[in-house]
Amino acid sequence: MRYAVVAGDRDVALEVSPDGRFLVGDAVVAADLVEVVRGRLYSVVIGGRTHEVAFLGGDRVGVDGDEIRLTIVDERAVAVAGNGPRGAAAREEIRAPMPGLLKRVHVSEGAAVAAGDALITLEAMKMENELRATHGGTVSQIAATEGTKVEGGALLMVIRSTLPAASVAGPAGSIR
Amino acid sequence: MRTCRELGIATVAVYSEIDRGSPHVRAADEAYPIGAAPPRESYLNAERIIAVARRAGCDAVHPGYGFLSENADFADAVANAGLLFVGPPGSVQRAVGEKTSARRLAAASGVPVAEGTMQPIRDLAEARVTAERVGYPVLLKPAGGGGGKGMRVVREAAELAGAWASSTGEAMTAFGASALLLERLIEHARHIEVQLFADAHGTVVSLGERDCSVQRRHQKLIEEAPGPAVDDALRAKVSAAATKIAAAAGYVSAGTAEFLVAPDGSIYFLEMNTRLQVEHPVTELVTGLDLVALQLRVAAGEPLGFGQDDVRRNGAAIELRITAEDPFGGFLPQGGRIEYLREPSGPGIRMDSGLAAPMTVPTDYDPLLAKLIAWGPDRPTAIARARRAVREMIVAGLPTSLPFHSFVLGEPDFVAGRYDTDYVATHWGGGARPEITESAAIAAALAGVARLRSAARPSVTAVGPWVRSAHEDALR
Repeated sequence: MRYAVVAGDRDVALEVSPDGRFLVGDAVVAADLVEVVRGRLYSVVIGGRTHEVAFLGGDRVGVDGDEIRLTIVDERAVAVAGNGPRGAAAREEIRAPMPGLLKRVHVSEGAAVAAGDALITLEAMKMENELRATHGGTVSQIAATEGTKVEGGALLMVIRSTLPAASVAGPAGSIR
Repeated sequence: MRTCRELGIATVAVYSEIDRGSPHVRAADEAYPIGAAPPRESYLNAERIIAVARRAGCDAVHPGYGFLSENADFADAVANAGLLFVGPPGSVQRAVGEKTSARRLAAASGVPVAEGTMQPIRDLAEARVTAERVGYPVLLKPAGGGGGKGMRVVREAAELAGAWASSTGEAMTAFGASALLLERLIEHARHIEVQLFADAHGTVVSLGERDCSVQRRHQKLIEEAPGPAVDDALRAKVSAAATKIAAAAGYVSAGTAEFLVAPDGSIYFLEMNTRLQVEHPVTELVTGLDLVALQLRVAAGEPLGFGQDDVRRNGAAIELRITAEDPFGGFLPQGGRIEYLREPSGPGIRMDSGLAAPMTVPTDYDPLLAKLIAWGPDRPTAIARARRAVREMIVAGLPTSLPFHSFVLGEPDFVAGRYDTDYVATHWGGGARPEITESAAIAAALAGVARLRSAARPSVTAVGPWVRSAHEDALR
């Protein structure tokens, strides 16, 4: 099975052979891997060099104390992404980063927004936090009402980006 | 509680419904529930806390460093119930706790304050007039607050009305009082504070300064002592100013006088904290003193037992606040569940932590999870130890401030001691991802794929001889 892995700012093309050996590119890697804490902490020794890999939740992974993002796409998903439609209008979901009170919605449906525009004020832990647009687009949906309590992760707003999608992140095979 | 255990003093904890399993409950000799999770129904409920103290037969009440620790009425209520309050009495807290009153006291003692209001501002119109007088940019802050809550920087007149509304709103929610003060913003300043200790017999000593300039939302992330940019002259200047204010207020117990130091070296008194602060371990490590033990001694009416000339400082200490916040998402607070935890230890490392795994982190209270404090004979050693400890620490399950600390401890300006209160904005911005070696990237990829593939298969957990030996190593 082949995997396209993005570890921090590096791409790693990894293959696991049927007999369980690891290949990076086309070369076999002499790696010894031990699961120290189930699903959380691994020790990896590559050619005598030791590394500790900690799975911190989501795509956050600690490597030797550095926190990076790790995405893994297996060969089936790689094929799909390669043939998939590119440049389709990207849909950005604005979700509540934490539970709180929706103090204010600064825009209305159909409004054009620019990167950095304030979208929503969320009050949590006695602080008012402004959620801002990461890039320009049009507000296609407002999913929550002012003055209501929202759960962490709740969908608040959908923005249809005016920029073409730069990359299609394949959720298939992504780690927990 | 650790100090009390060492001194042979029995302790009684109070807890809200969701804190039954908390470390402070387990560390105490006795523990009693005081209500539901919202602070108003539990930790801010003075009557219930005092009732528990009386029923349990307590001699004294220590307010900690949150909630009621700077509430003068609570200090009075404790005293009126015939109990000792471990901290300054209500009258002193009133004189220096409210910010405009502290500013008046400082000015009367000849200590400079940033230009601005010496009384709480009544309304927006008055704020406008004052802002025009002192000149933009200005800072709005709750007169009765702390911890950076409700503070707003206003760079031009057009922003004032909006800032006024959100600042008063936040002050009302957090402190139950909406009074604000306005002062000129001192830009590119360092936040330097002086740890004070006073007894009821007229002794006031300075235990030296801490530099707490690394902040986000006007809240501290890193504190260190001695301040890397504080020379003997500046140290003498801030210490003298701090002890002058404390003496003028008739101060008793532990307190902190906060100052801003401008790039030209001029100092401005900010406020006085009438409690033990989150960052007090930094001072404990460089002075060798137990500040809680001193608080208990002073509360019992005993003299401090030493004077200014007896205060010795040794080496350097740095504290990192490990918070449940996403440093790549504007430091927004995050709740969640800690699934796996590894805390650092070893030479020069102190962890003040109540963490466990698994453990749910609620969003009801402050996002502070733990404090990692490193001491070394000099600043480079303290930084190296802190960096080593951050590398060892793992908190899996929710985002924390650890990646930020990892960045800062290797960042040249911080390492050289060149930083001010704009540091987070100018150096971290939205977040700086580390560069990793190719070997590390392959290791992460291998572990990730292995984990993915094993998730489908049943597990066999085996503890090998190496793992056992690792456990034993940790106990050396």
